[in-house]
Amino acid sequence: MGQKNDSIATYDYGIVKMFSVMSIAYAVVGFLVGIILALELAFPELNGGIPYISFGRLRPLHTSAVIFAFGGSVLFATTYYVVQRTCRARLFSDFLSKLTFWGWNLIVVLVVVTYPLGLSQGMEYAEMIWPIDLLIVVVWVAYFINFVGTLAKRKDQHIFVANWFFLAFIITVALLHIINNLAVPVSITASYPVWSGVQSAMIQWWYGHNAVGFFLTAAFLGMMYYFVPKQAERPIYSYRLSIVHFWSLVFLYIWAGPHHLHYTALPDWAGTLGATFSIMLLLPSWGGMINGIMTLSGAWHKLRTDPILRFFIISLSFYGMSTFEGPMMAIKEVNALSHYTDWTVGHVHSGALGWVAMVSFASLYHMIPKLWGTTIHSVKLINLHFWLATVGVVIYIVAMWISGVMQGLMWRAYDDFGNLTYSFAETVAAMHPYYFIRAIGGIVFLLGALVMVYNIYMTISTAKDRPVVAA
Amino acid sequence: MADEKEVETTGHQWDDEEGYPLKEYNNPLPKWWLYSYYATIVYAVVYWVLYPAWPIPGGEFTKGVLGWSQYKQLDEEMAAGVAARKPFNDKLAALTTAEITKDSQLLQYAVSAGKAIFGDNCAPCHGSGGVGSRAGGFPTLVDDDWLYGGTVEQISETIHGGRAGQMPAHLDSANGSFTAAQVDDLAQYTLSLSGSSTDSAAVGRGDALYHGDAGCNYCHGDSGKGALLGSAGGEKLDASIGAPNLTDGIWLYGGDAKTVRTSIANGRNGKMPAWATDTEGTNRKLDELEIKQLSIYVHTLGGGK
Repeated sequence: MGQKNDSIATYDYGIVKMFSVMSIAYAVVGFLVGIILALELAFPELNGGIPYISFGRLRPLHTSAVIFAFGGSVLFATTYYVVQRTCRARLFSDFLSKLTFWGWNLIVVLVVVTYPLGLSQGMEYAEMIWPIDLLIVVVWVAYFINFVGTLAKRKDQHIFVANWFFLAFIITVALLHIINNLAVPVSITASYPVWSGVQSAMIQWWYGHNAVGFFLTAAFLGMMYYFVPKQAERPIYSYRLSIVHFWSLVFLYIWAGPHHLHYTALPDWAGTLGATFSIMLLLPSWGGMINGIMTLSGAWHKLRTDPILRFFIISLSFYGMSTFEGPMMAIKEVNALSHYTDWTVGHVHSGALGWVAMVSFASLYHMIPKLWGTTIHSVKLINLHFWLATVGVVIYIVAMWISGVMQGLMWRAYDDFGNLTYSFAETVAAMHPYYFIRAIGGIVFLLGALVMVYNIYMTISTAKDRPVVAA
Repeated sequence: MADEKEVETTGHQWDDEEGYPLKEYNNPLPKWWLYSYYATIVYAVVYWVLYPAWPIPGGEFTKGVLGWSQYKQLDEEMAAGVAARKPFNDKLAALTTAEITKDSQLLQYAVSAGKAIFGDNCAPCHGSGGVGSRAGGFPTLVDDDWLYGGTVEQISETIHGGRAGQMPAHLDSANGSFTAAQVDDLAQYTLSLSGSSTDSAAVGRGDALYHGDAGCNYCHGDSGKGALLGSAGGEKLDASIGAPNLTDGIWLYGGDAKTVRTSIANGRNGKMPAWATDTEGTNRKLDELEIKQLSIYVHTLGGGK
């Protein structure tokens, strides 16, 4: 306890607060754009013929808003919080902290302006035009220096497991971003990539899949490793398992990208490697789930009273389900059915909504009262958010599973004579009800996020009324 | 699950702010987890032996003992599909459409193949199942009212060469030769042919124009039933003109007064593209067998003659 008072005074909680608040704002915006897109797919005339809000321009805005604006801000907030607390050291540089905050938010603003105008590189999850790409590099290098600099100041020699995952995330995302976006500019808004043909596709999906692997998996596992034992007030289940699954995960993930390119111009051997490394990735992925869930063993009764722990457990369950589904979909025979269908969309959202968003909500609910030295405004509202989010995700992914599998089966259906049974337009018509149901799932999920906005607003604005009693 | 009392923590601890520092047990790797992990590695190694897997120097790669490649799989599956349809296709190519429609199994086959072709090529304009679209002026194919004839041969001819509607504009401001009032009169007379006119004086003036200066009767016939073959007043339609029957209450673009007036004022030039592969074979659309299947399918949609 002696260390407590001098360390808390030195932490930079201001930067963590700023990123936390922005992450919640971006979550609402990102989910809202997602719902607009879901409705545009169900009712295409909704875009009113206005190019700026057409599906093709809003879709990358949605993915960037949820992955980079929401997910990125949550990661900045939690890494800055966790690395300070587990190293007992203030962040390396206040200047770099501010640079990452204002730089990251400037990037988000530029994305919001350029995508609706149709300014895009046309590469999935890497649509940003080259000047924005350069800005990302600057911010990311600042982030890396700030994080490693803080680690170097640590007072405990042993580095806490969450920080391994965070460091792997920061280093790998830098590599992925720089290599995938290598390009020759021809004007302020346009450039030509240095990669071409099938090599371009391979690099793109090496980037794309590892954006999932390191941004949305490794980094959020780092969050899980700090916040689950903190919230449960239990030791982590197995240090040994965390080491083995960490190194297995980072080694195997980087190979898995080619499973996005089965049955294309990509050579067969590359597809085989992508598929088999994806299969070998299953158990290393599950290592994190086991460590998270088993940390609660001996404290299961807390699930009855603590909706934050319930959020953690359901997020780990969705994580386990998605990381089982992913390797299955990487097998060529399964991929032949699932690829290009809504099944893929359902898979992504069971990971993105069920795992990433839920573990983020739980971590923010844990962290925000501590940042403001208070308690949460309403535990009941956390519980309401939990149920809205869970029901919303389930509606969404079940609709997409049915729609996707049906779509895949209809595409390949032959009649007794060997002629195709359905035209493409008939498959689209069959998907229509599920597109509508999917939008409803999204709306329910957004309602949950709005409950969170209210709860967090009340928590922060009345923080002084509920000071935490010193332990 | 392990009893916590039997397992020591690693001794490290972090973040004691709240009096619950982070600690770590050091439980062994779960056996089921470890053996499942090994099993996936074995799966991968077996897969590498069976399938193309690792690049080797010289631009080559290990081919795998099964000799599988995605192109080979594609070729085999395509060949199997072609082989399954070949007996039917051979018969279809050799027989006339009349002979095909007499053999119920061959007819079923032709309809099944034609439906697939229709869905990918024709449905975008004529609608799923051939219901048509009045807004676009795309004829419905499910009734027995045919602009260019509804026999299999005539349908086949339409698909081969396409059709071009040539209803001229009549209003002076649209490059026609008639005043707005005269166009109104023509519209009233046209509506009267199917019993839906509202102004009998205008019908009289329109009648005179129809059979006089406007010359509508040259295509639509004296009685408005469309172009008739020969001059003997017989009832046999000349399907090559494609002039619609104005007396049956079936309208391509709509039968309300406003739409009929628009059709007369501005003309209509509906286009059905040609679907036959051109003589050089460079612009491949549909081959002869496909057009035969498609013609039979369209013929069965509802109104084949």
